[in-house]
Amino acid sequence: MNVIAQDTTNQERLITVILFAVLIAVTLGVTVWASRQTKSATDFHSGGRGFTGIQNGFAIGGDYMSAASFLGIAGTIALFGYDGFLYSIGFLVAWLVALLLVAELLRNSGRFTMADVVSYRMRQRPVRTAASVSTLTVSIFYLLAQMVGAGALVALLLGIEEGETYLGMSADVAKIVGIVVVGILMVTYVSFGGMTGTTWVQIIKAVMLMGGALLVSLLVLSMYDFNFGSLMNDAAASSAAGDAFLEPGQRYGVEVAGDAWQTMVNKLDLISLGLALVLGTAGLPHILIRFYTVPDSKTARKSVNWAIGIIGTFYLLTLILGFGAAAVVGHEAITEQNTAGNTAAPQLAQAVGDHFGGDFWGAVMLAFIAAVAFATILSTVAGLTIASSSSLAHDFYNSVLRKGQASEQEEVRVARFAAIGVGAISIVLAVFAQNLNVAFLVALAFAIAASANLPTILLSLFWKRFNTRGAVWGIYAGLISSVGLVFFSPVVSGKGVDAAGNNLSLFPENVDFSWFPLENPGLVSIPVGLLFAIIGTLSSNESDPQRFAKLQVRALTGAGAERATTH
Amino acid sequence: MTTTHSVPEGSDPPPQGGGGNPPSESELEARSAALHDDPRFKELRSRLLRFVVPASVAFLAWYLLYVLMSAYAGGVMSTEVVGSANVALFFGLAQFVTTFGIAVLYSRYTNRRFDPLADELREELEGAAAVPGARKGEDA
Repeated sequence: MNVIAQDTTNQERLITVILFAVLIAVTLGVTVWASRQTKSATDFHSGGRGFTGIQNGFAIGGDYMSAASFLGIAGTIALFGYDGFLYSIGFLVAWLVALLLVAELLRNSGRFTMADVVSYRMRQRPVRTAASVSTLTVSIFYLLAQMVGAGALVALLLGIEEGETYLGMSADVAKIVGIVVVGILMVTYVSFGGMTGTTWVQIIKAVMLMGGALLVSLLVLSMYDFNFGSLMNDAAASSAAGDAFLEPGQRYGVEVAGDAWQTMVNKLDLISLGLALVLGTAGLPHILIRFYTVPDSKTARKSVNWAIGIIGTFYLLTLILGFGAAAVVGHEAITEQNTAGNTAAPQLAQAVGDHFGGDFWGAVMLAFIAAVAFATILSTVAGLTIASSSSLAHDFYNSVLRKGQASEQEEVRVARFAAIGVGAISIVLAVFAQNLNVAFLVALAFAIAASANLPTILLSLFWKRFNTRGAVWGIYAGLISSVGLVFFSPVVSGKGVDAAGNNLSLFPENVDFSWFPLENPGLVSIPVGLLFAIIGTLSSNESDPQRFAKLQVRALTGAGAERATTH
Repeated sequence: MTTTHSVPEGSDPPPQGGGGNPPSESELEARSAALHDDPRFKELRSRLLRFVVPASVAFLAWYLLYVLMSAYAGGVMSTEVVGSANVALFFGLAQFVTTFGIAVLYSRYTNRRFDPLADELREELEGAAAVPGARKGEDA
């Protein structure tokens, strides 16, 4: 069996590099076209609101299914079996919150950002500042995790080993080049193509991702005569865990023999993670702004239905990919490549290519899946960048600094520069963090979204009494408690080293200032966010029943909702 | 679900203005505020909540049960049902089925019960100023 890093030939790398180049060329072409469509603020922030339900459904899928879900979940299933699947289910069920409670009402009542809805009946500046801070924190944490991952991935996908060079790059240089290239591309898509460009990049990615996952899944299944049961048995047999591979408890909620405290902590951590995943999705700023890209709330509903279908199908396919990688590639070959299993899916693609068409097709499949992974990273980081730049320009610059007096042209100009600023900061942070363990940032982003954003959005739509202080306290309490608890948790310091001697925390292994036992703060921070929103509200006399009435009427009927622009 | 009487809190000035023009922002605001007490709007809101609240409670409880069982009921979850396919696998797949199912049911429900009334109220609000949408809100 070929293992990428060990016998990656220059021919294989060449195919990978060519596919990457084609992808970059196509997406830049789309960006140039999109930049000509982008004139007004509505064009920049919301792509003119002219996307169809199917288009937006694919774009949501493209935005949402990050490299962490594609490579991460497939890898977790390959190494830990059932628990990777458990993780993916939280990501899917969460879409019902978006469908039933958020998408349509947000589309009807807001313009460009989440803060439009939350600040609707409140004092603009404090609420928009809070919402903007929360949006930026969530987006930049998420961005950082993606970009550090991107650097490592580019090095891995090119198969550059320690002490080896390709095109004059060592593995370390390739990591930095990967981060910088991804950063420059995302800034280009966003600042030139705006939401139209970003959306098409996401659609292209979603189609590639679904196509790639479907192809590899079918090929794997056909190796087992389409008998999923025997694939599962093979996966369990070749894993280290045996039958337990097919049961929960290998990765999350792990039972530690003889340590009742740690066992309890692990189980609470699983519940905490589950809560953050299911409640966080509908509070992620880059997801929320996608609901503004369609003409009306009915189309927003349709697009979420499409997204649920696409995302659900994809996670079912990752089950096949993950078990397939465990069965066909094998535990050892996967961990040899990457201890977290991030290369399980590309390795599987290469293996099935080899099986059906020989070495050359193995290389082609590997390159194709590598390009899919690259597209996956690009489209998610572009979505995060536009969410940050829209919030900076629309909420912070225009509403807070300029008190709503900035012209559309000015707001768009600021948004373009904000994208460059966010990109530059993320590149620098990612380069510094490239060798740190930052995978926890994705779960943290979901926890902040669930604690700070979702409660304030729902309360502002449904609780008449809700007011400025409630919104501001709710957002800051949710944000500070999630970030603070994670800071004092084992993911930041004091988790120690794994069997191979790798540091498991962010800080060096000899530093330990942790006192909060859970790695996922949601179990505490979600109630804290909600509680402060309620206490803040009740401690202030401010209330505007007429604006609330208008907000609710608008959210439910769509009267006065923003319309699509026509070119 | 809703009480049958409703006393409008402070009536807003009735919308006024000319001809077939769409209402101005302030007029739309006044009309919307008035419609908020209209029994038809209350009906609209209760139609939405009637589906959304129980469905949300149900799918969140169902998901939480799944997570809790994954954490604490390893014995049940690892029981094999067909071949090596165990309860955990079927429970997980059932989460997919219920998610797809609730999405379909919600869309059907809103198409039938919510959208027509929402459209009617929106057209009335956004209609020419002559339509006294905001004043229909009388005690039911």
